[in-house]
Amino acid sequence: MDPYEIEFIGENRIISIIPNFSYDKIYLICGEFGPFRAGLPLNVPLWLAIMLKQKQKCRIVPPDWMEMDNLENLKEEEKRSRFFTKMPNAHYMVEAKLILGAAGDDIPNSAEIKTIIKDIWDIRMSKLRTSMDALMKSGGSYGRLDHLTMMEINSVKPLLPAAMDDLLRIQMMAKKPAPASLNNSTFSQSGNSQNV
Amino acid sequence: MFAEKVIELLKEAERNKETIDQFNDEKIRQILEEMHMLFNLNMTDANASSENKSLWTAVQIRHSALERNKRCLLAYLYNRMQKIKTLRWEFGSVLPTDVRELLSDDEYLWFTKYSTNLASYMRSLGQDIGYNGIDLTENLKPPKSLFIEVLCMVDYGKLELEDGDVIMLKKNSRHFLPTSECQTLIRQGILKQIV
Amino acid sequence: MDLEDDIEFSNDEEEITADTVLKTLQSAWQNERLAPEILPHRNDMVECMLGQIQHMERNINKLPKTDLRASIHKMELSRIKFIICNYLKTRLNKIEKYCIPILNEEKQRIDSGTNYLTPSEYKYAQEYLLNLESHLKTVVLNKVPNNMQTFEMSKMAVYPNLQTHVFLQANETVNGVVLEDIFGDQDEEIDLEEGSQHILQYKPIADLVKNGKVQLI
Repeated sequence: MDPYEIEFIGENRIISIIPNFSYDKIYLICGEFGPFRAGLPLNVPLWLAIMLKQKQKCRIVPPDWMEMDNLENLKEEEKRSRFFTKMPNAHYMVEAKLILGAAGDDIPNSAEIKTIIKDIWDIRMSKLRTSMDALMKSGGSYGRLDHLTMMEINSVKPLLPAAMDDLLRIQMMAKKPAPASLNNSTFSQSGNSQNV
Repeated sequence: MFAEKVIELLKEAERNKETIDQFNDEKIRQILEEMHMLFNLNMTDANASSENKSLWTAVQIRHSALERNKRCLLAYLYNRMQKIKTLRWEFGSVLPTDVRELLSDDEYLWFTKYSTNLASYMRSLGQDIGYNGIDLTENLKPPKSLFIEVLCMVDYGKLELEDGDVIMLKKNSRHFLPTSECQTLIRQGILKQIV
Repeated sequence: MDLEDDIEFSNDEEEITADTVLKTLQSAWQNERLAPEILPHRNDMVECMLGQIQHMERNINKLPKTDLRASIHKMELSRIKFIICNYLKTRLNKIEKYCIPILNEEKQRIDSGTNYLTPSEYKYAQEYLLNLESHLKTVVLNKVPNNMQTFEMSKMAVYPNLQTHVFLQANETVNGVVLEDIFGDQDEEIDLEEGSQHILQYKPIADLVKNGKVQLI
């Protein structure tokens, strides 16, 4: 899948905004949202929040997890643990990218937050590379990877599954008997046929 | 002589993975000629080989070459067909002249059949509920509301956006605007994109 | 703006909301993108969404163009159209690539009422194969030596690799998934806990994808 498609999926996440306008409830196909009251927070899908922010119709409320203490703990945990830690949500990277990109001014310490999220991502990607390596070396055909997000998994495609496919193919060929005659001739004749 | 020309053909196809080249009518004709020649030689030798068994190897080699030629020719055509399909999704049912010229007449016929089949399928979508069908060739990329930051270079005045908002463009003012609505003003030098 | 978002769905008077259909369609799209073979169609969901889109477009046209709500609804509609178009195109790509085995398997499935393709897709597949064969015959096959002129279906067929490795998340706990050992004797059995994520071969979990117990990711 394309990273943009994964971003698309992540944009369905619900976050909180504070509009600067007032409207009655709106009835979208994906749900009801509102009523919008200027100055009062409400929940909307991320894609809508970004659109409203770009049109300067709202402020974005930083998600609970997007603050320094919390992220520092998360980073420590990720460093410490052999396994992948459970992230605040399944699309933390998409949320971070879009919110920090469009609404950096609404997020306190946005620059530090950007950096620490990137650090966490790097630690996880490094772990992922090590796991991939271990998986392949053990003749990998199965692995468990709880708590990895779609964006992270997507970054190892097609490399990891393709490598595992190739490994399987090689293992299966090692099992096969010697190949039969390469020449499927329709000129079948008795006599000294030779393998070409 | 033995399936070398067909390799040249395939190399040609491989060289440009992204685009399609001119249909190589001449090479194909030569390869077909080669195949007929090999076949005829084989007919002669096959008949003679019941007496002269040493011809049998030659027959087998030619036969392999024949099979290889056939397989590679089909691969060449098949590879081009994939690219031609992409043209339909990119350009729609009417090809620009310079692209049309790269296809052989047979290929162009195939393109129109593919196009008709696709159109027929797309029209059938939602038929049961009175929907007019969807054009699948649009809406293939996730929609994004693209905004860019711009600096106003001159005192321009009011700019009315599609959604009704009115922006005052004064010299040195910065704005965050939909990409599609800035392009003209950027081209005219009134706005400058801030990267 | 009044919009009914409850839809009467099946004969058993069950009401399914539009957003449930949307979520289901999105899952179906994700699975279809990531599965090596073509999956059973979800035309019911597609048509339901098309109906919603049609309804919504009519309502939007009643609003002034510059109304913020119009922009919001338009954006949502283009998101839904994207899912539908990408989903259907992904299926067409597979139909084109694997047309020979798909048509063969589908013939059998139609008999038992378990078809994977919609009637429109089936027609498309047949027409596509016909055109393909006709083209190859005209340009090459009819011009090669006599005994080589057949269009060899079995040689031309491309099969999906069902043993390719995929990532999945278990939507519910599934016990006893058998991972075949190719060397013969050490089949492994694993349990998929709800919410857990794995990488493994597609073949042993193909049915779980089709019945919604796991989601490809």
